Amino acid sequence: MSAGKIISLSLKGLSKYRMRTFLMMLGIIIGIATLTVIVSVSKGMQKKVMKGIRSFGPNAVMVSAGGGKMFGPPDDKVTTLTLEDADAIRESVKGIRAFSPFTVNLEQNIIYGSKNSTAPVVGVTPEFADAWQWYAEKGEFLSDEDIASMSKNCMLGRTVVSELFGEQDPIGETIRVNNTNFRVVGVLGRRGTSPHGMDMDRRVMVPITTAMKRLYNITHIGMIRIYLDDASRLEEVSKTVTAILKERHHIKPPQEDDFRVTNTMSMAKMAKGVSKTLGTFLGLLSLISLGIGGIVIANIMFISVNERKKEIGIRRAFGATAGDIKKQFLGEALFVTISGGFAGTVLGIVVSIGMAAIRKMPVELSWEPFALAVVFSTLVGLIAGIQPAKRAAAMDPVNAIRG
Amino acid sequence: MIELRNISKKYKKNGPLEVKVLEDINLEIGKGEFVAIMAPSGMGKSTLMNIIGCLDKPTSGEYFLDGAEVDKMNDDELSRTRNKKIGFVFQSFNLLPKTTALENVELPLIYSPDDVDIKARAKAALESVGLGDRIDHIPSELSGGQQQRVAIARALVNDPALILADEPTGNLDTASSAEVMNIFRRLNQDGRTIVLVTHEPDVAEQAKRIIRMKDGQVVNDERRDA
Ligand SMILES: Nc1ncnc2c1ncn2[C@@H]1O[C@H](COP(=O)(O)OP(=O)(O)OP(=O)(O)O)[C@@H](O)[C@H]1O
Ligand SMILES: [Mg+2]
Repeated sequence: MSAGKIISLSLKGLSKYRMRTFLMMLGIIIGIATLTVIVSVSKGMQKKVMKGIRSFGPNAVMVSAGGGKMFGPPDDKVTTLTLEDADAIRESVKGIRAFSPFTVNLEQNIIYGSKNSTAPVVGVTPEFADAWQWYAEKGEFLSDEDIASMSKNCMLGRTVVSELFGEQDPIGETIRVNNTNFRVVGVLGRRGTSPHGMDMDRRVMVPITTAMKRLYNITHIGMIRIYLDDASRLEEVSKTVTAILKERHHIKPPQEDDFRVTNTMSMAKMAKGVSKTLGTFLGLLSLISLGIGGIVIANIMFISVNERKKEIGIRRAFGATAGDIKKQFLGEALFVTISGGFAGTVLGIVVSIGMAAIRKMPVELSWEPFALAVVFSTLVGLIAGIQPAKRAAAMDPVNAIRG
Repeated sequence: MIELRNISKKYKKNGPLEVKVLEDINLEIGKGEFVAIMAPSGMGKSTLMNIIGCLDKPTSGEYFLDGAEVDKMNDDELSRTRNKKIGFVFQSFNLLPKTTALENVELPLIYSPDDVDIKARAKAALESVGLGDRIDHIPSELSGGQQQRVAIARALVNDPALILADEPTGNLDTASSAEVMNIFRRLNQDGRTIVLVTHEPDVAEQAKRIIRMKDGQVVNDERRDA
């Protein structure tokens, strides 16, 4: 029998039992939809994390003041990290390419003429540029002289520029930060979003000395970024830094650290760990639902084969071979699972898009769910359909036709 | 066309006990004959029909259909033989439920290896039994006589040499019976071999030959001039 005939036979068979067909499809639709959502979301998360990690920099160790929470710049009231800590680290660690201690003061009012904006003020040294691989796109980066003289020069991120200046050139203009006038000497290149979802381009950068003495009158810093020559030393340097700070801060177990050391590797590891656990859990869930869907299909198919005994007998009497009967029922199972798989993928994509829109979940649509749907639904159809189909084929025609 | 030699059929029941349904049947039916088989109920008429129809296998004996030895065929060969050479008509019609007359008649063509216009052939077969205006009706929308005519169209559609009818009028009233028998007579006049089983003497009398069976054996074989 030709494939076309088998398909049309299977379709006709199913169309006479619509409710049953729908019930058989349901498990597959749910299973494949879950699978599609999982793939879309985990790909989206992966992409987001990788983008974050790329912006973090491949060879960087980051030290932040304050323990506890996992991400983001510290609260500016945390006073545990100092320039002396920074000097001690710089002296003890070898193979540093660039070293950048900096202060962070979040949510500062920035005024230019009649316009104003809110941005973190970051106090930096010139080495910041190399440590972050982040340079002036226009004008000049802050210089050693700016640091020495506690100058009132500043640099702006692109978001602040567009909010305060629009299309106008900001270089040489004067802005007001915390009641102090600053001259804009440079504009930073675009950086995008940080791993923690912060707009990195919303910032004002001033000399670290100016920030500490003139603006905020503080003796602590917020963070230190250590850019290494060699990525393979990330973990080792992180450990050294942790040991130095523990000692300097007199932290003994069970006391908690009052600082945090992170690096690209540990971030990637954590991100992978989280998405792997989540992926495994949800993957298992969707496999279970596919498995249950398969069992449901097999059972309904068995019932169907028994109920349609007479039909099988009639077909046999008019020339259907055992193989024709087997193909028909297997075709029915496959049609149910494959079209269920297709419907499931579509449903999954709709749900993914909905999640992206409503819950702001990172979602990445790709061809993989379709491939997975085809593979899994075909597998489930074959496994669930083969035994009922064999039973149908093995029926004795004379017995079958009696019903 | 049909040649049965020492055909027996036994069923095993609860171990050693055997039920002999057919015993040493010897029978020849030529091309173009119109034969009625009569026997009391439970005497193996349907069993014999199923064997002739290649649906069932005898326990022993030889069966030749058009020179081919049926008792040596495997399941696929039997299926193909049923498809090509035999058209069944049953007492209880045995149409597929929820399926239109046309689709019911198409059934044998679906399993035929020949590449034909299935719809056109099925429609022509329905027209030949006077049901050209009922092709889209499902069985529950047809009278008993009409259902049996659909069944006959289905039996004819693949142009088989042999039509086997197991009590085709058993569920029909007199008028419908007469209609069905008319069709059979016409088919026979066109050269088709017809074997039918019946209880009713006036149905049997329309055949050209009446075979009477009892206790699994042929007891009387009467040729008539119709
Ligand atoms: N699968 C089977 N197993 C055991 N015995 C069977 C089987 N099929 C048929 N028989 C027996 O064989 C005998 C003949 O059955 P068959 O159906 O051929 O009779 P029949 O002459 O067609 O009867 P009816 O006129 O009632 O249709 C019956 O006694 C029946 O019980
Ligand atoms: Mg019978």
